[in-house]
Amino acid sequence: MNYRRLFLLFILTCAAGRAADLPTLWAERLKSVVAVEFYTETETERRPTVSYGTVIDRNGTIILPSIAVNPRMTPDQLKEFRVYRPGSSTGVPAVYLGQDALTGWHFVRVAESIRSELTPITVFAAKQDVEPAMAEEVWGIGLRNKDEDFTPYLLGSRIALVQSLPQRTAIALQEVAGPGLPVFNRAGEFIGLASSSFGQSFVQFSRMDRSGTPVILVNVEESSAFQVATEVLPYLGRVPTNVFGRPLAWLGADGLQPVDPEVAKFLHLESQSAVVVSDVLEDSPAEKAGMKARDIILAIDGKPLPRLKPDRVVVGYLDREVERRAPGSPMTLTVLRGEQKQELTVMLGDEPRLMSEAARKYFDRIGLTAREFVYGDAVGLRVKAKGATGVIAHFVKPNGPASVAGLRTDDWIKEIDGVEVTTFAAAAQKLGEIEADLQRAEFVMLVSRGGETAVLRVKLK
Amino acid sequence: MLKFAVLGLAFAVSAQAAMTKGFNQLFDAVVRIDVREVAFEDGAKRFSASIGSGVILSADGLILTNAHVASPRAVELSVTLASLERVSAKLVGWDHWTDLAVLQLDQAEIKRRGLKFTHAEFGDSNRLFVGQTVYAVGTPFGLTRTATRGIISNNNRYFEDSNGVNGYETGAFNTWLQTDAAINPGNSGGPLVTEDGKVIGISSRGYLGANNLGFAIPASTAMRVVQALVHDGVITRSYIGIVPSALQDLESFYALALNTGVLVGSVDPGSPAARVGLRAGDILLAINGAKVDGRFPEQLPPIQNLIASAPIGSPITLTIKRGPQTSDYTVVTEKLESRVGEEWVLEKWGLSVRKVSRTFARVNQLDDSTGVLVIGVQPGFPADVAGLSRGDIITKINQQPVASLEMIKGIHATYVAKPEPVLVEAQRNHQVSLYVLKP
Repeated sequence: MNYRRLFLLFILTCAAGRAADLPTLWAERLKSVVAVEFYTETETERRPTVSYGTVIDRNGTIILPSIAVNPRMTPDQLKEFRVYRPGSSTGVPAVYLGQDALTGWHFVRVAESIRSELTPITVFAAKQDVEPAMAEEVWGIGLRNKDEDFTPYLLGSRIALVQSLPQRTAIALQEVAGPGLPVFNRAGEFIGLASSSFGQSFVQFSRMDRSGTPVILVNVEESSAFQVATEVLPYLGRVPTNVFGRPLAWLGADGLQPVDPEVAKFLHLESQSAVVVSDVLEDSPAEKAGMKARDIILAIDGKPLPRLKPDRVVVGYLDREVERRAPGSPMTLTVLRGEQKQELTVMLGDEPRLMSEAARKYFDRIGLTAREFVYGDAVGLRVKAKGATGVIAHFVKPNGPASVAGLRTDDWIKEIDGVEVTTFAAAAQKLGEIEADLQRAEFVMLVSRGGETAVLRVKLK
Repeated sequence: MLKFAVLGLAFAVSAQAAMTKGFNQLFDAVVRIDVREVAFEDGAKRFSASIGSGVILSADGLILTNAHVASPRAVELSVTLASLERVSAKLVGWDHWTDLAVLQLDQAEIKRRGLKFTHAEFGDSNRLFVGQTVYAVGTPFGLTRTATRGIISNNNRYFEDSNGVNGYETGAFNTWLQTDAAINPGNSGGPLVTEDGKVIGISSRGYLGANNLGFAIPASTAMRVVQALVHDGVITRSYIGIVPSALQDLESFYALALNTGVLVGSVDPGSPAARVGLRAGDILLAINGAKVDGRFPEQLPPIQNLIASAPIGSPITLTIKRGPQTSDYTVVTEKLESRVGEEWVLEKWGLSVRKVSRTFARVNQLDDSTGVLVIGVQPGFPADVAGLSRGDIITKINQQPVASLEMIKGIHATYVAKPEPVLVEAQRNHQVSLYVLKP
């Protein structure tokens, strides 16, 4: 009798210390995982894209990894979002909420009908923040393609390395989850979100392409790395209030390059890092604060830039320090100019109009999408933004009249029919008139590419 | 009928006779040139050997060849005469724009050894007709004194090449003779001659992979270049910064009569033309009052040459049509510079550099011509270890702007004498990075 009680007690203790069995954990956690399908509409194409998403709250909010959307697309080119539960062939409509600059996540919100079937990932958060340990066993969920109803399957591995890139990132021995999907420990606690840029590549055995180079396959559907939970959970509240993700903090120090340890040593910067500013952008907060090109940034708000590996990562660190702040907030930068250290107080500004926000219009008969010239174009072209005129050829239809005349994507259109293009509206009107005039046989554009200009003659007939 | 045939035969015989005499004299004036060149590539000084052809032009041993055969990089020039005797020569001058160079045989050596040679004469390249028989004479693949025969395929061919002469620009100021006489590697610098042995061109290049598409610099251009190189050792040209382009069929758009004006295709930023307000899309009607006609590409080199021939620093009046307005602009010319600056190697650093020229700075949207371009690094040497690579532009060393090649040579010399870490600031695609060169 005594023995029997003891035995029972032993079993009970065991059960309390051990997590539920994996099938049970699996079934519960599957409710935090979805596939998201949407269409990307361009001037001449309509293309479906499938991405994986993680449910973050009870309002049906889902986050997608940054690579889910091509950065050249504007939000209004993204259509018909639908959310599929694993193993389901029917999608439920969703709306696109925008992208958060700091995390890079795209946010989507699904219709009410299936919200009750979804479980936010926060439910599985660990009681305490614990970083995954070396060799710890981890697992996650992969999803098959749409033709297989996004059937879920198990992935698992062990932690090989944890590194700051600058976010704390765990790298596993092999694939642990679909990119954008959660990763769990053996107890079923959420320990991270699979990164999108860690698809492993394989040389396909004895396969060569036509030119004789080995065929390399990249596994884009599964990831072997994940950002740990502390890089995810605190940021889930960053749901964009508009599709462009504004407000966006802006510093205006461009072309940031890290210094390597040898240079740091030479500059007497032991055990810290620094970044060189290649350009200070026109009218930017950095310029207003007195920053100069070739200043070396040493510290933010008195805190030296950390020495991260590889060297390049410190640039991402600095970018994130700007992005996590709001426009209008101050940021004190310690810079090295020549041999002198200086403190600059920058009032962060609002990011100038983005390419994705720029007005654009497609002219099918000409085969051209004209896009408003924005600040970023001036930076890229190395010209003054103030007073810049013209429009950008955002899309040139292959073998269309503009393409045959020699126009290329990203060319800068400065004159149309000998008249200087001052604004986007003027260009759109002019091109609209040309397009509408069916008697028109041709027109002429003055375009600039790489600092050189050319007169192009577009034949419409 | 018979009489006619006999006459024809007589003509053929006399042509043959003329050819024999004149042609033989020419044949004896053609030389083989063996060149040893230094190159500052891959962070080291390297020597290479090549073979070209040339033609003797005067009793004092002036030899005309291609700029891509003999350039200032040549450290040793050895000429094989028709008598198979070898004589050393020195470079008198070169001009990559026309791909021509002039050498002179070592007079003292000629005299000492009592060597004899003949010299060739120029013919009139302006009177060539398409279909006329011509001969290319030279040293293809080292086969000395080879003559090949063909015809003039085109006597006014236009092509410009921004790095056609060992990386230097060529072809902007002259048109070319095109021939189907076989021109092979090694023919370069040899003469293209008429049947009577008159030099009407200098064989320069062929199309790679094509059959019998050879090109020669016309004698009319060569004569001018030789004269200037012998006189000054260099050819200086003026620059205003417009890139002309052919109007082709745009006349109606610009409301111009046919064969009037040339289109300003592009204006170099910061150039004299840009400073007076010229813009791409302008029509250039006249230069110093003389009307220009740039309807077709072949017509552009003479227009370019007209501008280039103006004295440096002199004013040129350009008549410009913009929209319905026609007005005169006066630009003051600058000296034309190549994109390719002087090269050197800093051997202890394993670093090959080329001075940034004004033109290079313009093309690459640099603020000014400060700096040197890295053209090569030697693996394992300090520059490579520090992370510098080909294409970087070194702008500062130890916080001092690199204003000249001499400045960087000086710091290198200090390093050689006393090796201590050197801080280098360089940019690539306008991204500035720092490097430390360590002993």
